[in-house]
Amino acid sequence: MIAFGLALGGGAIGAAIGDGLAGNATINGVARQPEARGQLQGIMFIIIGLVEGMYFINLAFGALFVFSLGAK
Amino acid sequence: MRILLADQPPVTHPTVSLGCGNWCTFNYDSLISSGLAIVVTVIAAILIARSMNSERPNRVQALAEWAFSYVRSTSRENAPDASSFVVPLAATIGFYILVANYLDFLPITLIPNVHPANTDVNQTAAMAIVVFVLLHWYNIRLRGFRGYLLYYTRPHELPVWARALFVPLNIIEEVVKPVTLALRLFGNLLAGLLMIFVIGLLLPGPVASVALAVWKLFDVLFIGLIQAFIFMLLTLVYFGLAREGFEQEHSH
Repeated sequence: MIAFGLALGGGAIGAAIGDGLAGNATINGVARQPEARGQLQGIMFIIIGLVEGMYFINLAFGALFVFSLGAK
Repeated sequence: MRILLADQPPVTHPTVSLGCGNWCTFNYDSLISSGLAIVVTVIAAILIARSMNSERPNRVQALAEWAFSYVRSTSRENAPDASSFVVPLAATIGFYILVANYLDFLPITLIPNVHPANTDVNQTAAMAIVVFVLLHWYNIRLRGFRGYLLYYTRPHELPVWARALFVPLNIIEEVVKPVTLALRLFGNLLAGLLMIFVIGLLLPGPVASVALAVWKLFDVLFIGLIQAFIFMLLTLVYFGLAREGFEQEHSH
């Protein structure tokens, strides 16, 4: 249970930093070239999806350990 | 609350067994949910195709044409000679995952034990295995068997002794692709399901209903859409990666 909480916390830090970096790059890009806003927003959502994917893989394994392997 | 607590915890599934051990045991709740998603996908696709009109396109037709042209242009840019089977594959996978995720808007958990289809890792792993098999078949068809084995010794610019070090790295990369495809989709949807479970468990009655409504709105709309799009996009990108280095190899 504690391990699940630790895994979740560590994963959240990584995911948040990754999303922040993607947002940072998008804002910089839009600041330089406001007409590229549509494309840059699309790319930002793709990157956010991939980064959150890592976090959710983490969460899925944690849930697996807590709910099925821990309850046995 | 009663319905939530009567179910099993979210990661385990009720199974029915045909008697030959582990390979014949089916999670019947996922079968029901994915069967429902398949029926809705087919009906929606047939209705959209029937309502298409060349002279006066309506909005649904414009949306469907935009999505399909995006898939087709990305596929032509990445792997043009595979487009004849990649475009239907990617479009079907994208549409089916979208429908299977959005079915969570309806109260399907009133049928006992039924949850959105992609919350079962068998479901997402099945789709990832299909994409994996097609990727390697396409790779072998493109380069021949000897070229396929040489593909694992990328990058080809380095001397032979250095390329031997890259072989385990390339093998790991090829194995990791379907694993992350399956687990990314499964993890995202399982997170939504777990949040619903936890919100129903921790908060008192009416507060839980409001919080559940807000969470479900964000989760199903946003995360379901993005994950369907990413699965489809990664399918297209992996076919493009399988073509990598082909023109340079065959020009000398």
